[in-house]
Amino acid sequence: MTRLRVVVALALAGAVAFTVAVAPAPTVQAQGRTIKIGVLFDHSGPFAAAGSLNVWRGAKMIIDYVNERGGVMGKYKIVQVDGDSQSKTEAAINEAERLLNVEKVDILAGVYSSAHAVPLAEKVDKQKKFMWITTAIADAVFKDRNLQYVFRPQTNSGLFGEASVQYIAGHSQNKLKKAAKDLRVAIIYEDGPYGAGVASSNESEAKKLGMQLVLKEGYSAQAPDLSSLVTKLRAARPDVLFHTGYNPDIALFLRQSKEQGLRVKAYVGHGAGHSQLAKLKEAFGNEVEGFHTVDPPASQLIDPKKLTAGLGDLTNEMVKRYKSFEPNIPRDVIAPHVSMGFNNMWVLLNDVLPRAIQKHGGFGADALARAARETDIPEGGTMQGYGVKFNPPGHPMAGQNGRAFAAVFQVIEGQFKHVYPEVIATGAPILPLPASSPWAAR
Amino acid sequence: MIDPIFLVEAAVNGIMLGGVLALLALGLNLIFGVLDIVWIAYVDLVMVAMYAVYFLVMVYGWPIWLGGLGGVVVGVALGILVHLLIITPILDSPPVNQLLATGGLLFFLQSIATFLWSTDHKSVRVSLPSIELGGIFVSYPRLIAFVLSILVMVGLYLFLTRTFIGTAIRAVSQDRGAMALMGASPQKIYVVTSAVGGAMAGVAAALLSIQYSVHPYFGAAFGPITFMICVLGGLGNMVGAFIASFVMSEIIAIGGVVWSTEMGYVIAFALFIVMMFARPGGILAKRQ
Repeated sequence: MTRLRVVVALALAGAVAFTVAVAPAPTVQAQGRTIKIGVLFDHSGPFAAAGSLNVWRGAKMIIDYVNERGGVMGKYKIVQVDGDSQSKTEAAINEAERLLNVEKVDILAGVYSSAHAVPLAEKVDKQKKFMWITTAIADAVFKDRNLQYVFRPQTNSGLFGEASVQYIAGHSQNKLKKAAKDLRVAIIYEDGPYGAGVASSNESEAKKLGMQLVLKEGYSAQAPDLSSLVTKLRAARPDVLFHTGYNPDIALFLRQSKEQGLRVKAYVGHGAGHSQLAKLKEAFGNEVEGFHTVDPPASQLIDPKKLTAGLGDLTNEMVKRYKSFEPNIPRDVIAPHVSMGFNNMWVLLNDVLPRAIQKHGGFGADALARAARETDIPEGGTMQGYGVKFNPPGHPMAGQNGRAFAAVFQVIEGQFKHVYPEVIATGAPILPLPASSPWAAR
Repeated sequence: MIDPIFLVEAAVNGIMLGGVLALLALGLNLIFGVLDIVWIAYVDLVMVAMYAVYFLVMVYGWPIWLGGLGGVVVGVALGILVHLLIITPILDSPPVNQLLATGGLLFFLQSIATFLWSTDHKSVRVSLPSIELGGIFVSYPRLIAFVLSILVMVGLYLFLTRTFIGTAIRAVSQDRGAMALMGASPQKIYVVTSAVGGAMAGVAAALLSIQYSVHPYFGAAFGPITFMICVLGGLGNMVGAFIASFVMSEIIAIGGVVWSTEMGYVIAFALFIVMMFARPGGILAKRQ
């Protein structure tokens, strides 16, 4: 009798396991006609003003835009469920858990900070849930992790660091009057995964090009004082300063370096607070003329003729809608973060989701992952100019968009211009820093 | 080997930073010494007063000195309000409840500031030159902040030692019960102390406004270090806090130049931990 019970129990367990194994993923009929997207950004804390809020605005604008046209494929409405990471890693993890397991969202999208994205990506992937990273750039999010359900159309930190160094090297001889190998460069960075990732690629690219690395140093973004860092920089006498930070550390560093007499030929920031030109101008006025930042291209700065037909209109839509958030910020001062939210979310809604529904039977994590791996958008096929093709499983950066690129922006006549790469350049670079700049080498 | 001139510059910067830290620490310590309650949210009161300076100067166009005075008035008002609304009801509660209440105030202030003024960083733009002496740069705003900090601290010292109310404050800090037995009203002294502590927060706000952007999370940068300085100097010990401010700031500044910025903070915090074992009552405490 006992043996019979064991056999029956094993048979039942086997049947259940078989049913689970062979059962199809929930179909679109089973899932209904609304797609729940958890949109996770920092609405409070220092990251909010350093770009997170702007990316959220971009994401919200494109979701609203798509919903006004009936939703994905004209019939699947998006339900946006917001989460606030509060600029804290533990809060980001808790909010992601809430969105995924309480709100039961179909997709977790967003994430501004790399410090949040690094632990989140692995956690979400282990749960076999689909994650779409619009903003955080650190290589460490994907590097050697072989993630299956996490995708990032956004540029990665390795490209940020390379782009800025290559740009400077390209103008070294003719504008800075020194061969690249004689150029003295310093790298400073906030010591989280974001800053450390960009600084690491700055360093390897500078060494590859034979530049003289005179200082490389990290600091905490919460440090109340950076004057000792400025003193060390003055002692190191760099020609070019590469800086990766968030905020308020960027403003603090600029203020203290200006007061302590740091002078360089070129100042190159990398994203975050460096790309919030309106805020920089509020603090420093026209003194930021000639400053650089590196970020994915800003859609509104790209000549629409270089993009697939119709994308220019979408960019105009983005600029028009952004007015409801910031009516006084001119078109060419809008931070690239708005484009990151708008464009990268558009790739999900316009490319991945329709294919998942039409070809793979729904918008479960497996269907979405398969659809994402089939994404094949050529260069010029997105509002930010880059194409989209995700690195396949087994690749050291599986899930990262292999066609993304970073652009170097410069503040020219008070507005952002793309100055690198040349294919999207909208202005001729001003190097060295103009004599009017308090940071200009004299 | 780093040029000695840069070490001198680092030491000067350390002194400048120490002045501002001392101002913050003395306000917090004064309140603790008299009320026996740590206002964890003290630097967040400074943040609110910084917003006041920002709006008065940048939005309403007041001159910076008048805006700074406005910040002091706001600081005084906040000090009194916090005492009457939050501290008075919990004066006799267990210390952990008091800590939770002032900790709750911290989150309340950060949230209300985010709600009212958004997370944007707001800057009071004052254009002041730097002074260069033999290759050493000294920032004018920091120098002004340092000198005014010292003057305010001297003023506080004179207030506490040369006035009747100051003497009463010191008496309460020494023996709260005895003062009540002599017919004095500790409650009145508490309110005055909170107002003076608030005024110190207002002065700090005015001086920090010309050096830092203000945002709702300003307290995260200065709150922990201010609290550490108070503990290192001995909670309630004004002279100890003054010395501890300069010890910490010099370690941060010189350590940052000799090793690295991060290492400067690591050494300062390591010293704090060691001192907590060696002298838990603060650097000026007598060994038990």
